[in-house]
Amino acid sequence: MLPVIVKLLLRRALLAVPLVLAVVTLTFFFIRLAPGDPAAIMAGDAPTPEFLAQIRSEYGFDRPVWAQFLTFLGKAVTGDFGISLYTKQPVFSVILERFPATVLMTGTAMVVASLIGILVGVASAKRAGSRLDALISAASLVGYSVPGFWVGQLLILLFAVSLNWLPVGGMEAARASYRGWRHVEDVAWHMVLPVATLSVFLLTMIARFTRAAMIDALDQDYVLVAEAKGASRTRILWHHAFRNACVTTITVIGLEFGAVLAGAVVVEIVFSWPGLGRLFYDAIYRRDFPLLTGAFMFSSFVVIVVNMASDVACTLLDPRIRR
Amino acid sequence: MKDAITVKPSPFAARPGWIARLSSGLASLRELQVSTVVGVGFVAIVCFGTLFAPLLTAADPLGLSKETLLAPGGAHPFGTDDLGRDVLARVLYGGRVSLSVGLFSAVLSLGLGMTIGMVAGFFGGALDEVLMRITEAFQILPKLLVAVVVVSLIGSGLANEILVIGLLSWPATARVIRGRVQVVRHEEFIAAAEMSGASWVRVLARHVTPNVLSFLLVSASLQVASAIMAESFLSFLGLGDPTHPSWGLLLQQGQLFLQQAWWLTTFPGIALAMTILGLNLMGDGLSGGRAGTRAARR
Repeated sequence: MLPVIVKLLLRRALLAVPLVLAVVTLTFFFIRLAPGDPAAIMAGDAPTPEFLAQIRSEYGFDRPVWAQFLTFLGKAVTGDFGISLYTKQPVFSVILERFPATVLMTGTAMVVASLIGILVGVASAKRAGSRLDALISAASLVGYSVPGFWVGQLLILLFAVSLNWLPVGGMEAARASYRGWRHVEDVAWHMVLPVATLSVFLLTMIARFTRAAMIDALDQDYVLVAEAKGASRTRILWHHAFRNACVTTITVIGLEFGAVLAGAVVVEIVFSWPGLGRLFYDAIYRRDFPLLTGAFMFSSFVVIVVNMASDVACTLLDPRIRR
Repeated sequence: MKDAITVKPSPFAARPGWIARLSSGLASLRELQVSTVVGVGFVAIVCFGTLFAPLLTAADPLGLSKETLLAPGGAHPFGTDDLGRDVLARVLYGGRVSLSVGLFSAVLSLGLGMTIGMVAGFFGGALDEVLMRITEAFQILPKLLVAVVVVSLIGSGLANEILVIGLLSWPATARVIRGRVQVVRHEEFIAAAEMSGASWVRVLARHVTPNVLSFLLVSASLQVASAIMAESFLSFLGLGDPTHPSWGLLLQQGQLFLQQAWWLTTFPGIALAMTILGLNLMGDGLSGGRAGTRAARR
């Protein structure tokens, strides 16, 4: 007998396979859909005839479409996304070089958004219908209605340009090369505004859904039983109600992760943060299609993995979901 | 008193026409919340501004001048940009681009979503299963990044933007409509229509559609909002149509001069945020402020 967690992971992994296939198929389809010769698209503007011929034979663009697709698929799932037209490096290594910066910013933003979002959601559920609740609902509607990149621009105008409290952008001070603890402090300082910007959207989503789930949970019989047993208010709220509501919270985080990653792309551009987002931007501008499609497939794989993880977490937390 | 409304009408009573049913669905408009009124107000202001742009400013949104990067005031209430173009005119005319991309792609996604949702909800079974798996896959994919890749490859331009946003945004509507159709499907009047020999096309068109229209209305305002947001995202990344500058494109230009000219980002952003917030407030209001209307947008 395999432990439950291994079985769960296996089942989720099996469900992710068709999604990964779909991403690669879509990407292949888009490249074929683009007007003109796919080899020319992969080779960039004004390639040498030799390079064009090399791409053509490497991807087999002279062979039937299904053979081309299999080659593309084989390359994509093994992490061979081709060679960046601009830097001439393998796309996968370019992506891996930039990925940690994105993980640092997005990860921090997700932690901040989850903590504040849950606190706000629980607080407004506790006083559902009150003035505070109405205020929070209104604020969260504003929070997901304003585009992230504009929030970032406004924060720069206020805190970096007018007040001069925080750096305008980048990941570390350009002229100083700090080491050790000073370096950590420097990066943290540069991270304040981008993380704040990126958190807004996820925070409002989490607050909204946690509130709804908490109101629902507080209405259940197990809360009544806990009250009858004489459990404290705090224990009922967090141990009994939130244990159940957090499944919704985690589901929201998983489902919105794609939107958060897309948000990270524009936030990185606004704050010149050297991550995947900048890579997307540069790839668009330089018409570096292998880099663009590679970055897209890589991001999609990450989104699929995060979704899988949130599914597994929900199942572990709530035995009722297990079949 | 309102309790009379909750009585379920007898299946033998004459069904009111679809106009009557739609209007009774809209009857809640009389109990408008302040937030809904604010939303309608925002959208009305934006629509007025963009429609009557020529009356509000004489400036040409594309007209260059030597007065570059002028701060707001005097002849240029919103200032001028780096090429001396009037920002007020650019915001007003840019709204035409943002709103039309939003509207047209929303029409496309609503049509697709409604068709898929109705078919899935009505027929159920394996067809429903397949359609819903596809819908879920579409929801997990990072929609905006897919749009970036496609528009980069097939080329930018308003038509391509509309097509891509529309084709990627239908899952939200499909799910809402499917859920509603599943409820309506088991009503007696559907069984009655089927027994009287109506074809499934007729049942769907005459009997199911009117019952999902009010849900489509909610979906519509949320979809337009999310499409405008998606358009601004694409334009901000430089994938918009440079000959038809939208709000997203203005914000991209503003980014370059963020430290010199705050007005280049502030005004287009206010217009964009006001529109999206207004549409979301409208959508929430129309749906009766139910929690989780965000689900209707996904």
